[in-house]
Amino acid sequence: MSRTVTGTGATPLSDVGIVRWYRPDECLPETTDAETPATERANFEQAKKTARDELEVERERTRELVGEQEAGVFDAHLQFLADPQIEASVEDGIDDGLAATTAVREAFADPISQFESMDGMMAERADDLRDVRNRLVRILAGSERIDLAALPAGTILLAERLTPSDTAQLDPARVAGFATVEGGRTSHAAIFARSLGIPAVVGAGASIEDIQEGTEVVIDGTAGEVIVEPDEAVKADAAGSRDIEVQADAVETTDGVSIEVAANVGTPAEIESAVEHGADGIGLFRTEFLFLNRESPPSEDEQYEAIAETLSAFPDGRVVVRTLDIGGDKPIPYLDQPAEENPFLGERGIRRSLDADADLFRTQLRALMRAAASDHGDGLSVMFPLVSTVDELDRALEAVDEVATDLEDAGVEWARPEFGVMIETPSAVFMAEELATRVDFFSIGTNDLTQYVMATSRENDRISYLHDPRHPAVLRAIRRIVQVGHDHDCWVGMCGEMAGDPTLLKLLVGLGLDELSMSAITIPDVKAGVAATSHADAASLASDALAATTISDITQLLNQ
Amino acid sequence: MERTVTVVPEDGLHARPAANFVEAAGEYESEITIAPADGDGVNAQSMLAVTSLGVAAGDDVVLTAEGADAEAALDALEAILTTPEDSA
Repeated sequence: MSRTVTGTGATPLSDVGIVRWYRPDECLPETTDAETPATERANFEQAKKTARDELEVERERTRELVGEQEAGVFDAHLQFLADPQIEASVEDGIDDGLAATTAVREAFADPISQFESMDGMMAERADDLRDVRNRLVRILAGSERIDLAALPAGTILLAERLTPSDTAQLDPARVAGFATVEGGRTSHAAIFARSLGIPAVVGAGASIEDIQEGTEVVIDGTAGEVIVEPDEAVKADAAGSRDIEVQADAVETTDGVSIEVAANVGTPAEIESAVEHGADGIGLFRTEFLFLNRESPPSEDEQYEAIAETLSAFPDGRVVVRTLDIGGDKPIPYLDQPAEENPFLGERGIRRSLDADADLFRTQLRALMRAAASDHGDGLSVMFPLVSTVDELDRALEAVDEVATDLEDAGVEWARPEFGVMIETPSAVFMAEELATRVDFFSIGTNDLTQYVMATSRENDRISYLHDPRHPAVLRAIRRIVQVGHDHDCWVGMCGEMAGDPTLLKLLVGLGLDELSMSAITIPDVKAGVAATSHADAASLASDALAATTISDITQLLNQ
Repeated sequence: MERTVTVVPEDGLHARPAANFVEAAGEYESEITIAPADGDGVNAQSMLAVTSLGVAAGDDVVLTAEGADAEAALDALEAILTTPEDSA
């Protein structure tokens, strides 16, 4: 009989398949018979070499598929593999007559339990050490590696947990999905799943442990559910979710209302992914990556090149560039930033651009206004983050005028892009009329807007029930921004997490948003959703939601 | 030769930053140690030893190097400890 186990959805994808359990530790021998110390030493040296080769391949694959940051975990594994302390300990064990497998286990035992007894990141190092140990033991014992890259098509992989090395091998063409007992939305496994486009549920808990090998299950990555022995209707729904083809053209609702579906990007690699997933343009181009990982700020020319290149990736679409939003939680060493108690309410965003980083801001504006005159520059829109007063916007626009005069005087080719405000503060919601008369568009950043409307830190799990963009207070703020924007001929987009949540799509269409911007992977889903939605029905849903009093009222409406 | 450095990477000396640090330390002939401001030094060429320190962003650490290339080693290691990780 069908039953459902709930965990955390890691990707907004679903699929159906047959369970295969992955229990790598079970195949590893505790010990083997020792040959001479010289032979065991040679075996150990050879095993290290094989392990290094494997790790280098996995590191490269991860770097290509996911990115430099995630590939870094393999650098850590390579260093643990070569650690002099561990090597010395293994060699001592071998000299005492142990087999290399046993000596390796003993050499890792103390460090693993030491790290295990600590919190947070130190506990993650225990995982890394276990991963390196298991790799060495497997190679030494000549055990068959469970080839995760060669699983039968339609496999749903279940595991206690998946290490980065495990996940890096998964082939999205064969793995219909995976579920793990442990892990959260930001675990390595979840991040890989999103990058590879594999339906996944993490942190499903011990209840999945009794799902037998060979059982048919659905992984619903949107709802965060593992559905055991699903009925035909559930299977059909799930199987359809990954078949959605990338829709490169713009989409409209069944009754002819166009909705732009764009991508949020924060690294150059994401621009390519946005194109591949059929984004109409970029709804949030975070410029911070141009400033990080370096000793001094990027030059005007570097910034110009980066923006002009992005514009040519979307010759017919719009690219919304957010001016530098640093401060608080995003430190940059060559800028003088004070330590702050609460980084999210402090000196950041436009506040720094008008004051401490005024020169950087002008350089960025110069680069942007030159890019607006480049090929495809007519698609450029520029938005200012964290605007909380009309005065801030006026000062930012004054800086634009001054930069325009400088460029003109210097005979440099420039054009005026569209300018807009990222709506993140309650004060911007209340002052929307005055802001709207000065700009071309609004883009709603729902992560911060929800945080500030609800007076709730999004970093605090204990009050996460309050950080919910479905709260009527947040929905009413969104509705107000859309109405005021439209009254003043501003288009209104949304670039916070909420925009890519397929369960909220109809509500957002009904609230009247012109553009939704999200992580690339969710774009095909959302485009298909828009094409299947009636704007009139959506408007009626939105109107009911705006009249609601509590989140549970809204949830009920959404489930109807 | 000794130098005190404030650690910048957001994650402190963990995973990638630690791996970069240990790898760089391994490229020099000098004997190099790293110590927390109030603790004993450990072998900078051991990933296990370096991560066990649990050094966080903003912590001060004391680097010492003895050998022919000590100064170059300290320069390279200081650069790694003061370069932020990509946190965009």
